[in-house]
Amino acid sequence: MSDLVIETTGLRKEFRSRRGGLRVAVNDLDLAVPRGGVHGFLGPNGSGKTTTIRMLLGLARASKGSMELFGHPVPSALPQVIDRIGAVVESPKFSPNFSGHQNLTLLARSIGVPKARVDAAVETVGLTGRDRDRFKSYSLGMKQRLAIAATLLKDPELLILDEPTNGLDPAGIREIRDTIRDLGERGVTVLLSSHILAEVQQVCTSATIIGNGRMLASGPVDELLQGGPASMRVDVPDPTAAHRVLDGAGFVVTTPADGASLLVESDDPSRVTQVLGEAGIWLSALTPVRRDLESVFLELTEADTLGHTLGHEATGATR
Amino acid sequence: MRQLLAVELTRLRWRRAVLLLLAAAVVVPTLIAATLIWDTRPPSQDDLDAARASAAPEIAQCEKRPGRFGVEDRALCEEQVVGWYTNSQPLKLGQQRSETGLAVVAVLTLLVMLAGTTFAGHDWNSGSMSNQLLFESRRGRVWAAKALVVLVTSFVVSAVMSATYWLALWMVARSRDLKVPDGVLADCLEFALRGSVFGAAAALGAFAMTMLFRSTVATVGVLFGVVLAGSLIFAALGISERWFPHKNVSAIIKDGTRYYVEVPQHCFTDGPIEGSECDQLRELTLVDGSLYYGVLLLGVGTASVLTFRRRDVP
Ligand SMILES: Nc1ncnc2c1ncn2[C@@H]1O[C@H](COP(=O)(O)OP(=O)(O)O)[C@@H](O)[C@H]1O
Ligand SMILES: [Mg+2]
Repeated sequence: MSDLVIETTGLRKEFRSRRGGLRVAVNDLDLAVPRGGVHGFLGPNGSGKTTTIRMLLGLARASKGSMELFGHPVPSALPQVIDRIGAVVESPKFSPNFSGHQNLTLLARSIGVPKARVDAAVETVGLTGRDRDRFKSYSLGMKQRLAIAATLLKDPELLILDEPTNGLDPAGIREIRDTIRDLGERGVTVLLSSHILAEVQQVCTSATIIGNGRMLASGPVDELLQGGPASMRVDVPDPTAAHRVLDGAGFVVTTPADGASLLVESDDPSRVTQVLGEAGIWLSALTPVRRDLESVFLELTEADTLGHTLGHEATGATR
Repeated sequence: MRQLLAVELTRLRWRRAVLLLLAAAVVVPTLIAATLIWDTRPPSQDDLDAARASAAPEIAQCEKRPGRFGVEDRALCEEQVVGWYTNSQPLKLGQQRSETGLAVVAVLTLLVMLAGTTFAGHDWNSGSMSNQLLFESRRGRVWAAKALVVLVTSFVVSAVMSATYWLALWMVARSRDLKVPDGVLADCLEFALRGSVFGAAAALGAFAMTMLFRSTVATVGVLFGVVLAGSLIFAALGISERWFPHKNVSAIIKDGTRYYVEVPQHCFTDGPIEGSECDQLRELTLVDGSLYYGVLLLGVGTASVLTFRRRDVP
């Protein structure tokens, strides 16, 4: 048996739109998630993350391709493996008029989990005291926490979280991030889908980046961060003049949105200093820019969007 | 499977809308019975004396020709005519079958159907179906567990309520020293049983439709459409009464009914002969009605299970 917890091969999902057209939400996706650690599943809104997850969990039918969870083919063998998987797909959906506790009790009983586990799960996510209130009276953060509590009922080996921090305030985001990191350290494999990279970068060990339903990059986060041009941020009193000088010397220069400094592609700070100094421009600061997941992501998804034929609705902003 | 059944039963018990409907299934028949028992209360002695006095001439006429007064035996004349004068009809179980009995069956059927459809509709409405499937991914089982709970609950509620209805009327009749012919109570209880089986099957059908349409509103809309317009459309299309929805309901609940057919032109000159193609009145048996709705239920149920197993769940 391979040591991949999730593996998809040539996975494809088409939706037929009302006007009879086809929309390809997931396109030939080969997803491979190794056992252990937190795996980021990144892509802009509408890139097919939720659709992929729903196919893995048997909620949606793949148009083509094959999927395996723990080495078992799904959806055919899903009943054998579903007890090892906890999942939150999109926004948490429970019966609005039942309390959180009632909702969890029904789910727990359907898999024969003792009632004590419900209280334990409620406690783990910090809902004790509010769990007898109706689900519809919960704040978004509480709903998310209840959804996570539901996944803990099974004591899962694989946790699939689809944008779990959506709509949360910074404190809530931090809480969830800590929970995820915790679970990862306890040996649970986590697939964390998100379109917010700064969040993911801090907890993920590996990541897959998709855009328009296609795989753009995949691998350990360290590897994703390598490669690509190095750059530095240059602060000068007169950016316009400096821009002209550096352009003239053959550097690739861009002006970030704030306009107060320049981004220069180069791995040689002394050369940049020299060129500017010879033109009588004195630097007030020079900072090497570390490539982060966000810039990798932006590069990849922008290139993908530009290179893609029109007609796809799946473009979407990243923030 | 037993776990799932227990879960679905609990879900049903916790759903307030369902509980309200089931409570109505207790209250409405009780009210119907209470009204009936009150309306058929025996007149007081004073009422009787007054009525007997003013009815004397008619009683005398009746005793001469009982047939014209709707009684078979002259001994029954006084009771019949005085009954008109006191404006009071004694409680007759057998007669109630085609009156309040039908109303009770109709009310119970309607309520359990609504319970079946809201029970399933809520899972789709709230989106909690997908959550349930993350815990039990065998969709056939999920469907079956919910269906069984709807079927059994509907049957138990209808059967208990309608049997109680007839037993209560019977006891009241006995306490009023009314003669209840042998076998009438048994007939009434059989009537109740047929009504309950029909009600439970209808609730199952409503459930299956809701799982198919994924919406309570759509299901109720379609059912109302069938009830309101079904027979009209059938009539407009010139389809035989044999296929009218309500005729087949009668056939099941009343253990057979009759319907009219158009007969060929020559029958009007030759004169109708019973049992021939010229007989305008035909029998629709319990089996006919059951087959009609059985096939319908099977069709809806199959479509419902198949689509539930195949389609993406939001
Ligand atoms: N049920 C559906 N019917 C039609 N199109 C859908 C459906 N679900 C998703 N899509 C489309 O599939 C694409 C991917 O959506 P989704 O998987 O939700 O993206 P993400 O989760 O990455 O934001 C989008 O273009 C979306 O509009
Ligand atoms: Mg999504």
